[in-house]
Amino acid sequence: MLRSEKRSLIRFLIIYLGSTFILFSIASWLFYISSKHHLLDKQRESLKYEAEHIKSQLRILHQSNDAKLIYPNEKDSQSAIYNVDKEYIFGTFQTKQSLDINKYENRLYHSMKVEPYYLGAAYLVVAKDINFEPIGKLQRNIFLFMLGAGLFFTMLGYFLGKLFVAPMRDAMEKMNHFIQDTTHELNTPISTILTNIEMIETFGKHKENSTELKRIEIASKTLSRIYDDLTYINLNHKYHRQIVTVNMSRLVEERMVYFSAMAEAKGLDVTVTTDPNVILQIDKNDAIRLLDNLISNAIKYNRSKGLLHVTLTEDLFSVRDTGIGIRSKDLSTIMQRFKRANKSEGGFGIGLDIVNQVVSSYGFVLEINSKEGEGTEVRVKWEK
Amino acid sequence: MGKIVVILGFLSRLLYAEESTTQDHSFKNTCISCHQQQQIPSALIYKRYLMKYSTDRGMEEAMFIYMKDPKKENSIMPAPFFLKFPMKEKISLDDSSLRKHIQAYLEEFDIKKKLMLEK
Repeated sequence: MLRSEKRSLIRFLIIYLGSTFILFSIASWLFYISSKHHLLDKQRESLKYEAEHIKSQLRILHQSNDAKLIYPNEKDSQSAIYNVDKEYIFGTFQTKQSLDINKYENRLYHSMKVEPYYLGAAYLVVAKDINFEPIGKLQRNIFLFMLGAGLFFTMLGYFLGKLFVAPMRDAMEKMNHFIQDTTHELNTPISTILTNIEMIETFGKHKENSTELKRIEIASKTLSRIYDDLTYINLNHKYHRQIVTVNMSRLVEERMVYFSAMAEAKGLDVTVTTDPNVILQIDKNDAIRLLDNLISNAIKYNRSKGLLHVTLTEDLFSVRDTGIGIRSKDLSTIMQRFKRANKSEGGFGIGLDIVNQVVSSYGFVLEINSKEGEGTEVRVKWEK
Repeated sequence: MGKIVVILGFLSRLLYAEESTTQDHSFKNTCISCHQQQQIPSALIYKRYLMKYSTDRGMEEAMFIYMKDPKKENSIMPAPFFLKFPMKEKISLDDSSLRKHIQAYLEEFDIKKKLMLEK
């Protein structure tokens, strides 16, 4: 799966599943509240029934001439009777309860008037503990439903997401194939040109400082670098890195020699400051891609006869130019693939994407400070 | 000092008990003996008053009014009751004694005292 495709799919799933989850949560909550009320109402109904039963028992007791009047005592509930002045007469509560319904707030209660006043009772209160078992069962069922719905919608979302990103994937694959084919076709002529330039320079069949030859050399190296970048991007997902000890100081000097023709052609004042023997454990191709892209960008987007400062220390590598700069609104997106903040120069917009990939792979820190019209400084700090 | 308090307490309790016994005796002579002679269902009357007034205070007041002026309008008993039992004669007791007798009556037939929970 392509990186961009994966990112799009994850974004789609987050939005789709997030909104579905919120919707289902609200619906489940409303259902839970309604069902809970229904369950409590059912328990209250049974309490009303018990109250009616006690009332009829009171009538029988009132008419009885027995020496002992056994007060009706229901198994799961407690009750009490009160006279017309709301004074306690008798009941099954452990303590004498006053006729204050607030005392029953954590329990279910039912209060009813009794008339005529059997045994002097004008009010009857029946209370019992809430049976939480059906409510717990309801909560479990809702949880299982949410879990099942979550799984179902995740699978559905994944399937739909794949469908949605399919056209984008096709387009990306076509583009990748095109780049692959192009790079393959470019390799041979570029190598031929560069080899022949080297031969001409070596065997002296040219005039010293021939401008035409320099131009051919710069153009060929630019092509060569584009070829390397495109190959790197193409092979990145299946590229096996070989971590070796690289002397970055020597490498920076080599790459500066490689780019010297380009810098000279633009009339840049180049300053290279490197600490001796800065050593990194890194894949050499990654290191070259990192340096090449930052240096070539600084040359390409510099103004004519501008300044180029390249610094390498034990802590960081920095490239500072006096070029066109980057708009502050573009700084956050400048590292995306194919993103080009300025189209005044040629390119594919893959340079900083490659730099970002290398930086992320090794846990380096990338900092870009830029002021539009004044210049840009890119710093790569080796330590986190 | 403590002894004096104990003795005074004992004497007052003795006096109260004596008064209560005298009161009880008077109530039985004045009211119950006559009720028994005429076979008036005192317990039934009590239940009827209880069913209507709910509290001792309410019952006492209703009975007091009837005793002071015994007539059908002041009684809560149904009309056929007076066909079987003669209308009571106006009582000669003073208000305070009458109230004490009514309270003794309510105490005697109080069915709420019989209420208990099954063991």
